[in-house]
Amino acid sequence: MDLHLPMISLNSLSPLIAAGGLNAPELPSLAWFTNSIFVALIVMVGVLLFTRMATRNMKLIPDGKQNFVELVIEFLYNQVEGIVGKHVAPKAFPLLATIFIFVVVANWFGMVPGVGTIGWGQTSGPLTISYMETPLLRPATADLNMTLALAVVFMFVWLWISVAELGVKGTFLHIFGPKGGLKGVLMWALMPIFIFVGLIEVISIVFRPMSLSLRLFGNVYAGETLLATMQGLGATLGFPGWLSAITSVVFPLPFYFLEILIGALQATVFALLCAVYIKLSTSHDDH
Amino acid sequence: MNDILTTFGLDWGKFIAQCIVVLVVYAILAKYAFKPVLAMLDERRSRIEAGERNLKQVEEDMAKAEERVQALLDEANKGAERLIAEARESSEALRSQKSQEAINEAQTIIEKAREASRLEHQTAMNELKRDFGHLVIEATSKVTGKVLDEGDQKRINEETAGQVAL
Repeated sequence: MDLHLPMISLNSLSPLIAAGGLNAPELPSLAWFTNSIFVALIVMVGVLLFTRMATRNMKLIPDGKQNFVELVIEFLYNQVEGIVGKHVAPKAFPLLATIFIFVVVANWFGMVPGVGTIGWGQTSGPLTISYMETPLLRPATADLNMTLALAVVFMFVWLWISVAELGVKGTFLHIFGPKGGLKGVLMWALMPIFIFVGLIEVISIVFRPMSLSLRLFGNVYAGETLLATMQGLGATLGFPGWLSAITSVVFPLPFYFLEILIGALQATVFALLCAVYIKLSTSHDDH
Repeated sequence: MNDILTTFGLDWGKFIAQCIVVLVVYAILAKYAFKPVLAMLDERRSRIEAGERNLKQVEEDMAKAEERVQALLDEANKGAERLIAEARESSEALRSQKSQEAINEAQTIIEKAREASRLEHQTAMNELKRDFGHLVIEATSKVTGKVLDEGDQKRINEETAGQVAL
């Protein structure tokens, strides 16, 4: 049996103005304002409003929102400090915490009913579509532009922290210099190997933004597709209308819990890898 | 490569827009969330540390004060014991002195009484001899019917006193 499972289109990243319909006119000056950017803005405003409300009138004895925000920030700071060390933590923490909070909220926002599932596509009946082409709202982290933006911004901050910590010469030596405190003839004899290892290190650094962004994008996009597939599975398998309506709710339900876990896990992995990259580039060899 | 990136929807305009979103979130969270919260956590931590230090200091001060109080109490007890011993010795000495003085005084009183008694006895004996002499003279003159002159009276007195002397 040839099954055509419903899924999210990779080309669903559409300018929001064009989201008015497949044939809606595109405005070139607003081409950047996509459904994904719109969700990113909603997440941004939500996060900023909440934190602002929590930190506007801070009290020594916290309550409510302030307590929650302090709990999260203190927990994240301790984790970052544990990885990058006390000295680098104040510089690295703001970006790493921003990445974690933004990514986890954006991931979970993708599970809000309607995000990625309401839009325009091939219709299979009144108010139903079998193939989503232009969702009204698309999860921000299911957009490679967003995940790559996160990774690139991180790489610039990573470079600044590394150079601030070790200096230009120190950073260069850290990558290409001899390791393990070697001196004398042995050091010079092994220098070609160290330079070769340094080149490999540079290549791995160059590919870090891609690996970071594609990992997050792939997981979130796959999660969205999984949920969409589960929602339409009943109809695909030829269940009667009333049964496929029930299965469209029941089938995706376990996967929502899975996606909650994956959303947090991917945010943790992204932030954790960033922290490890900072730790690797700022650790002194003589320590 | 371009085809792959296009397939995944990568676009410079959208990418830059997302970068701006990330930078705005980063800047605002860093300034309005992380900075005040970390400052508050630091302040709370330093207050707790100061409180702990103060508590430790108070406990040390209390221990020292208790030691001082105990030392003062010990010293006061020793002083009190010394004073009591001194008072006891002093009272013993005073009691002994007063007893001796009382004994001496009693002795003196007894001596005086004895002397007074002796003098009184002497006086009484003298009066008795004189009265007895008068009686003898008077009896002699009545028995003999003779008026006794001074020489007789003197002789009878002396003889009577000699007989009466005990």
